[in-house]
Amino acid sequence: MQEPMNEGDLSLDINVLRPRSVEKKTLSGYFMPPRHPFILFDPQKCTGCGTCEMICSARNTNRVAPLSASVQVLADERSGKNLAILCQHCRQPLCIPACPTRAIEKGSDGIVRINKLFCTDCGLCTMACPAAAPLKDPDSREIHKCDLCEGDPLCVKHCPETALTFTRGKAFRWIKGLRWSVQAISFAMLVIVFIGTFCYFKAGNVAFSCPAGTLQNIASSGAIVLVGISSAAALLFLTILAGRLFCGWICPFGFVLDLVDKITPKKLGWPSFLKSRMTKYGVLAGAVGGSYALGFQAFCTVCPIGTLCRSYGVQSFFKSAELAIVPALASLEIAQRRSWCRYFCPVGAVLGIMTTLRLIKIVIGAKKCKKFSCIQCAEVCPMGIIDADQLREGISPRIPMTECIMCLRCLDRCPYDAAKIRFRWQRTAPEEDGR
Amino acid sequence: MNPLQPFFNMKVGMVDLSVSSTEVVSLDQGETAAYLGGASLNRIFIEGDRHDALIFGTGPLTGSFAPASALLVATFKSPRFGKICHVPFMLSAGPDMKFSGLDFLVIQGGATEPSVLYIHRGGVRISPAGNLQGLSIPELITALKRDYPPFRSAIVTGPAGDRGMIDAAASVGGRGGIDKAGLASRMAAKNIKAILFRGSGGLPFRNENPEQSRELITKIAADKNYRHRGFLSLLDKLEGGKEAGKRLGGLRKKDLACYHCPFPCMTHVEFTGQDAPRGKGGKTKEGLLLLDHLGWIALVGKCGKDALTSLRNCLQEGLDPGAALAPGDKFPRQAHILFGGGIAPIPPGDLWGKRVALAMILGICPLFLLMFPRIDERDLLAFIAPQGDLGEAMQKNLSSAIESLLTA
Repeated sequence: MQEPMNEGDLSLDINVLRPRSVEKKTLSGYFMPPRHPFILFDPQKCTGCGTCEMICSARNTNRVAPLSASVQVLADERSGKNLAILCQHCRQPLCIPACPTRAIEKGSDGIVRINKLFCTDCGLCTMACPAAAPLKDPDSREIHKCDLCEGDPLCVKHCPETALTFTRGKAFRWIKGLRWSVQAISFAMLVIVFIGTFCYFKAGNVAFSCPAGTLQNIASSGAIVLVGISSAAALLFLTILAGRLFCGWICPFGFVLDLVDKITPKKLGWPSFLKSRMTKYGVLAGAVGGSYALGFQAFCTVCPIGTLCRSYGVQSFFKSAELAIVPALASLEIAQRRSWCRYFCPVGAVLGIMTTLRLIKIVIGAKKCKKFSCIQCAEVCPMGIIDADQLREGISPRIPMTECIMCLRCLDRCPYDAAKIRFRWQRTAPEEDGR
Repeated sequence: MNPLQPFFNMKVGMVDLSVSSTEVVSLDQGETAAYLGGASLNRIFIEGDRHDALIFGTGPLTGSFAPASALLVATFKSPRFGKICHVPFMLSAGPDMKFSGLDFLVIQGGATEPSVLYIHRGGVRISPAGNLQGLSIPELITALKRDYPPFRSAIVTGPAGDRGMIDAAASVGGRGGIDKAGLASRMAAKNIKAILFRGSGGLPFRNENPEQSRELITKIAADKNYRHRGFLSLLDKLEGGKEAGKRLGGLRKKDLACYHCPFPCMTHVEFTGQDAPRGKGGKTKEGLLLLDHLGWIALVGKCGKDALTSLRNCLQEGLDPGAALAPGDKFPRQAHILFGGGIAPIPPGDLWGKRVALAMILGICPLFLLMFPRIDERDLLAFIAPQGDLGEAMQKNLSSAIESLLTA
């Protein structure tokens, strides 16, 4: 005889029925991230003919019904600009955790799909999506979301103006791998192998020193030592040649900040009254003035770069009280990426001043860039200096090279090679001039 | 089975405003097969005892995968020309009417107070709209969006229509139109303030239609007109067009196209009008869509450097910008009047009438067919029926429909 079921047996646990798939992080996946396919929309080319909506609705519903499409073109009658609402198949889609029935999944091919079997058309995904891309059919109340036509989007194929382009994303980001390797090697060399080398290092007749330290030295001693200036010139010369390359690729504290950023992806934000990039110049002036008044290199005692180089070596590991400075300043990373570099670092301030003589610059050609639907360069920039709004309007953003740390994340990430390194006398990206 | 059937909802909305009644009747299969649709079927509706009626009709290809399938034809007795005229409406009014479930809308009688017609799911709803009387077109659109259920397209009349001006022009949303036959004053006489199309339904299509569309666009891609497509390209082909184009200078921001049209013949301009309100950084810029080529040429001839401000005022008031050009002076041809006097005369000659009639029957933008004579009727009928006996019979019917439309 069958046992009667109690109430507990009838309850259905969503975690048992539809467990969330957990993305496994592997080392190879880190340097060769999964492809990120998506459709790029060019508002400059779009004439608002709505062919994309037609063909998409034809696939979704077997009828020509633009309001049932997974892509919608909106026209601003005042500005004449068109705007496309379509799924970007985000790396970390917000629609997935928002879905109460776990009907939305990201496939191994990078495509975010709705499993119609489990979808209740509640519309929470639309509310969660920053682009409101899952679209609700006004008649059937069904949710339609782009699935990239399983890798061969029909809207891209039929767009008469080629305003839509499909990209499968980059398979391998070599700059990322190279930068992390250089950063790790530099860290090991400066912090562990050659202790104290960043602040001052002498090999035979050749000497290298920190430019901010040199300035403080001059202020505190009251004497201009030619050797000191020439030893600081190496880094300054590198800055003239390649911008603030030191900050993005060599600085050991920058490496620490990048590591901290990896473990604190969610940022708390930084109070707006503290968000002045001029602060670091004030810190530099304060350091020089303080050194003059106190008679010793005042800032160097608390400099996180110097502290790392002096205190964390094999011989002096855990030896100094200065040890606390590095984690204390690194914790600023919780508020914003590279907070220290953006607002406080006096070394960055000296290098920033030197970049006024720079030979190169980073440009993002708005014509080649697919603007509205991408702006990945602005998202990955650790210094937050790429203006996403300008890109959305089709304007090539002016990148302040005094702030750029030449990490080249924008070049690495841009799927359309719109971000380039150019000589400073080249006014725009070549594709902007049609050259 | 009638091969046209999947391309139509087979529904006609019959509205009698004098008694506020609406009825939806089936489209006659025999008449549809013989006259195909658009202006040709509109003429059948208006003949007989409906001389006072206002007919809005779509062609079989309106809203389909055929390129430039954006057309909606309004047929009525023109108060300006005193004859039956067929006025084309582009943008997406035609497809949206079809997606709303109606192929034809026959409006008879006149309402006692201003009214709005709302078309949705194959039905028509009449709402009183006394509060909309006298509003400028941008204000009217704002009020309609606020007070009525969502809609994708609207045909509206402005204050000029309310005042019963013969030069009043009906506008598609706030973007204008090429009504030069006095449709707005006919609408105003019937107390129709706006016709709103919800456009949320859909239409079936033949599986090969999307590919046929691509092939047809590829066919015209080598054409010089296609390579140099844009507002100015069309303007250059018209008398006085080059000078009118120069007047736009660097104000043109972007060329835009109607529903599923690969030839963007409209343009968006940004300008600072003389009477523009002051903003933070000086006078604020205004945006306009230029879709009436003849109207623009006429305005430039009349107003010179103030043409854009005048056009803005015309669009706000619901006036025909081409009213500055005396009708009949430059385009005296009978066919121009038959098709409302607003379709650009390219190319001149007898071909013009036949091409426009073909477009007005099938539901394709006439400007598109005039720009690409390479596209013939067989190319377009292929969207409806495959070549063969059926296709040939349809072609025969189409030829006789064109003939009878032009000779009526």
